[in-house]
Amino acid sequence: MKQTREHDSSGHGRRISRRDFVKSSAALSLAALTSGGSSRVFAAGSDKIRVGLIGCGSRGTGDAINCIKSADGVEIVAMADVFRDRLDESLGKLSREADDKVSVTNDKCFIGFDAYKKVIESDVDLVLLTAPPGFRPEHLKAAVEAGKHVFMEKPVAVDPVGIRSIIASSELAKQKGLSIVAGTQQRRMAQYIEVIKRVHRGQIGQIVGGQCYWNWGEQDWHFAKRQSNWSDMEWQIRCWPYFTWLSGDHINEQHVHNLDIINWAIGSHPVKCLGMGGRQARTGPEYGNIFDHFAVEYEYPGGVRILSMCSQIKGTTNRVSERVVGTKGTTYTTRGLGYIEGQNPYKYDGPGIRASVRQHADHISSIRAGEPINEGRQVAESTMTAIMGRISAYTGRELSWEWVMNKSTLDLTLPKYEMGDLPVPAVAIPGQTELI
Amino acid sequence: MKKNKDEKGNGISRRSFLKASGAVSLAALASSCATSSAFAAGSDKLRVGLIGCGGRGTGAARDCIRSSDNVQIVALGDMFRDRVDKSLNNLKEELPAENVKVSEDTCFVGFDAYEKVIASDVDSVILATPPHFRPAHLKAAIEAGKHVFMEKPVAVDPVGIRSVIASSELAEQKGLAIVAGTQRRHQDHYLQVMKRIHNRAIGEIVSGQCYWNQGALWVSAAKKNLRKKKELGWSDMEYQCRSWLFFTWLSGDHIVEQHVHNLDVINWAIGSHPVKCLGMGGRQARTQPQYGNIYDHFAVEYEYPNGARVLSMCRQTEGCSSRVSERVVGTKGSVYTDGSNASIEGPNAYKYEGKSPSPYVQEHSDLIRSIREGKPLNEGRRIAESTLTAIMGRMSAYTGRELSWEWVMNKSELDLTPSAYQMGADPVAVPGQTKLI
Repeated sequence: MKQTREHDSSGHGRRISRRDFVKSSAALSLAALTSGGSSRVFAAGSDKIRVGLIGCGSRGTGDAINCIKSADGVEIVAMADVFRDRLDESLGKLSREADDKVSVTNDKCFIGFDAYKKVIESDVDLVLLTAPPGFRPEHLKAAVEAGKHVFMEKPVAVDPVGIRSIIASSELAKQKGLSIVAGTQQRRMAQYIEVIKRVHRGQIGQIVGGQCYWNWGEQDWHFAKRQSNWSDMEWQIRCWPYFTWLSGDHINEQHVHNLDIINWAIGSHPVKCLGMGGRQARTGPEYGNIFDHFAVEYEYPGGVRILSMCSQIKGTTNRVSERVVGTKGTTYTTRGLGYIEGQNPYKYDGPGIRASVRQHADHISSIRAGEPINEGRQVAESTMTAIMGRISAYTGRELSWEWVMNKSTLDLTLPKYEMGDLPVPAVAIPGQTELI
Repeated sequence: MKKNKDEKGNGISRRSFLKASGAVSLAALASSCATSSAFAAGSDKLRVGLIGCGGRGTGAARDCIRSSDNVQIVALGDMFRDRVDKSLNNLKEELPAENVKVSEDTCFVGFDAYEKVIASDVDSVILATPPHFRPAHLKAAIEAGKHVFMEKPVAVDPVGIRSVIASSELAEQKGLAIVAGTQRRHQDHYLQVMKRIHNRAIGEIVSGQCYWNQGALWVSAAKKNLRKKKELGWSDMEYQCRSWLFFTWLSGDHIVEQHVHNLDVINWAIGSHPVKCLGMGGRQARTQPQYGNIYDHFAVEYEYPNGARVLSMCRQTEGCSSRVSERVVGTKGSVYTDGSNASIEGPNAYKYEGKSPSPYVQEHSDLIRSIREGKPLNEGRRIAESTLTAIMGRMSAYTGRELSWEWVMNKSELDLTPSAYQMGADPVAVPGQTKLI
């Protein structure tokens, strides 16, 4: 099944387009899978995977570098961002890091709100979706509809309407044999894999409680000071973590990592939640409209209640970790540690894994093996876990998963996207902010 | 042992007598003559002074009278004349005349009114002023040999807590009773379920939650007090004392003033105070100036000696979901409790089906019986620890810092007592900026 490269270096001409090829080969491999085969569409490393980067910020650039370094035969061929300077900066960095794997010509550099479409149309096999989370549902939809494999950063939406879109796109991807890998890196860290494997084997007994935290003594994460020539829209996108419509607030943007671990350990999303939060220290208008602290209690099937806490306040105690409490023991995990205390004690003492690279390596090999990974629903559910916590804290209302997933009509997308005036929405006030 | 009221100031004073009888009963207990009573049940009047004539103090006085025979309210003290008058009127309306023996010369007003009540030949006092004043009032009462019923919480800062503990130890030496207004400790459904927890019905406790999430309160009073401050020219001090709920130095903030009930239940279930905590909170909805400087929400994680982590949440915000309850999770089941329900899920399932008598009356009845039987209850240290649990949660939320019990109990120098009882309000706390003291 060795494939001949269909493209010459100029990439022009009316041949079987690259993406049609990938689509049909994915369909083939699905057929092969259902007939029990291990057929490989790509012989490992024998064929190039052409990657488009959508969202050229530091995370996107980092993902692009990790992606091309994760496997042979992977190259960046097209880039998109809302801002020219971000793209140029990113391209410069990519070229310095791995010039031989960066083949981005000027006509494959796209700027603006519709730049993502142009990257998707640029004869790529795989796109990296790393724009601010508010844009993710639309980008994913376009990518999957166009038959592209997708790596997307977490979180993957900022509201329930976006989550439903992500789930629909993920299902479509499944039908099309396209892969979706999400940037919830801990899923690929050895200490997490080993500890959670043991949880699933019952080594801490039945799960009865737990906690997860992203309490951070930092409050200027990716902060951008407004320049006099920036419109409202430009400012908000450049300073995107601080605007709920773009980031989903920090419970979503950052703490989703920890919530994802809890969902993974328990094997389910929560069934309800009750949250609180506010904006007590980071109150200046330059910090948009997000909260600086959240505390949410999530209830999982079987009545298991988990505490989630996250804050971004300078000068406060740091704590970024997860803890799962069972009838026979307790797990403790961080990005550097994983252990179990109790009847079946365990401590991971193997080498660390660079999960930020591993996630791309896994992805590329799954594509080449014709066995696409699809993490779309999983990361959609973890993102929704964070979103429901935020909605509960903003409104002060206890919420059920069922309602948020199926009934909430909250949609933070804008009627139109263009540089210009865009008033900052009011900071939420529990008891007054409307539940939508 | 009949008491002659005219003895006041002469001969064996009432309080010396009680002191002596307390000592006797301690001695009796020590010699294992367990049922010895200085008071033959119901045979002698118990003279009670009320210090703090607000709604809760007046209610406590009424519950005290209703709880037992031969109890009289004989003196009232408050900072404000109108509060004393209103309280006295209410008591006279609601209670038989023989139970309310308060005359003009046993009504005291001002910051030192408590001293005068204590000096009014009373056997016991009800301490029901804003919590800030409790440590000083308890100290004076115990030093004067009075039995004490005191409302929760019992202090607003670690310095106050250390004073309450010292006074409680003195009370123990003197054979004086101290009962606290954490009425759940006197409520049958809590007692039944705690007995089972302590008999390991749910195995080892590994987690838990407690909540006091409610709507707004004192909304019109807060507005009215601010208006009156302007109209009547109240001093800052008068204004703050009348709107005391909303000032941390007076109430300890609502995590202390109200949520202490639920934290007390958790300490009770686990059998210990926490060893550390990490809290957060803020003032997100109740931000108007009439609401002083307290927060409107807190979430605190408490860690207990065996590593069990317990979530505490409290909120006072209109329009939000309400939840006031406790939950304790063990290796073999979980317990749910609230103001009127108690149940256990798991292999040792249980549901309380009885009807708890009013705990607000029961706590006084337990106190008075213990006095009359010469076996004085002393809940002083326990309520001090529950109050400090809440205080440390507040301090952690205000500063954004993880705190250890050991540090808060022994090292913190936080003392919210104003240098003189005249002042303006402190600013609202800002985590990461508010100084840890």
